[in-house]
Amino acid sequence: MRDKNANDAIDELIRGRIQVEVPADVEDRLRHRLMEFRARVEQRPSGRLRVLGYSLLHRPVVRVMAMSAALALAASVALVLIPTQTRVSRVFAAAAERLRSSQSLEYTIVLNAEPYVAVDFAYLAPGYRRISCSWGIEVRSDASAGKQLVLMHATRKYLVESRKQAESLANTEDIAEQLRSLPSVADEVLGEQWAGGKRLIGYRLRKAQPNTGIPGLTAFDIWIDAGTREAQRVDIAIQEEGKPVHQMQIRNIRAGAEIDRSLFDLTPPAGYTAIMAPGAKPPAGPPGSSQNQGALHVTIGYAAALAAVVMPMKGSYLQTSAALHTVEAYLKTQGIAPVGPPLGRYWSEQRWEAGYPVPPGAHVEAPFDLISLPAELTASAVVKGLWGKDSDGRWGSFFKSVIEQGYLPAGPAMEIWSGEDSKEWTQSTEMRMPVAKAN
Amino acid sequence: MEDRQREYERLIAPIEDRMMRAVWRVSRNPADTEDAFQEALLTIWKRWDRIRAHPNPHALIVHICINAAYDGLRRKTRQGKLLDESAAPEDIPDPSASSAGAISAAEQDAQVFRAIGHLPKNQARAILMHAVEEMPYSDIAAAMDCREATVRKHVARARARLRTLLAHLVPAVHKEEGSHA
Repeated sequence: MRDKNANDAIDELIRGRIQVEVPADVEDRLRHRLMEFRARVEQRPSGRLRVLGYSLLHRPVVRVMAMSAALALAASVALVLIPTQTRVSRVFAAAAERLRSSQSLEYTIVLNAEPYVAVDFAYLAPGYRRISCSWGIEVRSDASAGKQLVLMHATRKYLVESRKQAESLANTEDIAEQLRSLPSVADEVLGEQWAGGKRLIGYRLRKAQPNTGIPGLTAFDIWIDAGTREAQRVDIAIQEEGKPVHQMQIRNIRAGAEIDRSLFDLTPPAGYTAIMAPGAKPPAGPPGSSQNQGALHVTIGYAAALAAVVMPMKGSYLQTSAALHTVEAYLKTQGIAPVGPPLGRYWSEQRWEAGYPVPPGAHVEAPFDLISLPAELTASAVVKGLWGKDSDGRWGSFFKSVIEQGYLPAGPAMEIWSGEDSKEWTQSTEMRMPVAKAN
Repeated sequence: MEDRQREYERLIAPIEDRMMRAVWRVSRNPADTEDAFQEALLTIWKRWDRIRAHPNPHALIVHICINAAYDGLRRKTRQGKLLDESAAPEDIPDPSASSAGAISAAEQDAQVFRAIGHLPKNQARAILMHAVEEMPYSDIAAAMDCREATVRKHVARARARLRTLLAHLVPAVHKEEGSHA
């Protein structure tokens, strides 16, 4: 018994001093070693050669020859063990070369893991580009023609811009340039993972390539199919000073695939009407209105969370006033006092809603909805003057300003109407839209 | 290629964490750990065919890892580089000068490692696999290619030696040792 206690005590002492977990940085380095080792195992020469070597060693007559063969085999194994370029790094180099040399490139960018916010990008040499956003905006550009076409599918409007304005796409194109100019060697190997039945090897680039301009890029993690050596996914983290981290993921990467050239056609589709390029012809507004004071001033910032009771609508926006009266009457019957001016939120003419902000936790019944808008990054601008005036023009101007500031729309447009119904000079409209960093 | 992928999945993938842990727990230094780990992988590479056919390949692989780390520890111990450059083998424990409460955790670690580093090789490997990785005697026997009784003997002797060397770190043991005296 005494011996058992003594044994337990000494075992406990050793365990207590030795049983510690591996620090993360050490684990990273060891995993890297394991990954290289795995690649070597998978490249290991056929077992038949080794069997032959062993069998020769058992025959004294040919032992000398066998030893020579064994030495040769050892030399070849050493070449595998100490390669100048490991298989892992060759996988990255091959994928980078493929992206560099491809005449076409397509991918989808998802912002902050929010499925709603997705952008499809297509490139076709020498200078065609197309961006199609999940919220119904499409931009086609032709560098050689020096112009771009902006399509707003929800409202069936279009805007043709010049080459100078087309440069506003630079942030989005930087991602493509980053992909098309990957170095031959990654800064770090991240390890392996299985996804969709494919063995992926991850590589990290810690900074943007010199020919791109992605400010605040902290990680560009590219995952490559070890079998086909094609890039499968890129996880991007961007943090600019004083701003929150933005996560983006590039998916559905296709390099060198056939692309339909009509996707880059700069002819506006039939049925679409042109909208006025902001600033090209300032609309006339009432005295003192913002239109007379210069360009729309769109600011980007975090909007407070908001709860609202709304009436889901579809069809003409001319029903807005009636919808608001209905919601107002309903709130009165429920004893709920609005906590702010009325608002409208628009996806398309087939889906929009109007209502009033209310205290959180209010209970509503059909056909009304209680919506909760989180505190999120939002673009906003206040336009003084008659509600609803020049809606198309100012929203076109709004979108353009958002894009030029390096952001992309990340949710439906919203208007908040302040002032009194009967006094036009008191009226103003706050335009709001959730946004996300474009690059 | 597929077979080799399966081989890795079968032999290495399930115990990757154990392999890294086994080496780190003995080496305790990033550079030494990486060196020992690479040594272990080289040994595994050389013995791949034997490992594939081994009745307990995981135990054998962990054994190889512990061996590689232990060899590094032993080299350092012999070179007097384990924390205390001037520590001679006979200086490892100094029961009269210190007690468990009076010396730092780092110094306790160093004393334990120095003591293990001075054990005969088989005793050290056996006690490390048994106490550190908590491997059953049967697995250790399979890994060391010996009988289970032999492993028990190695472990018992290692404990006896460590009880003497480290008695000052375990008051109860120290007391019992004292009562034997």
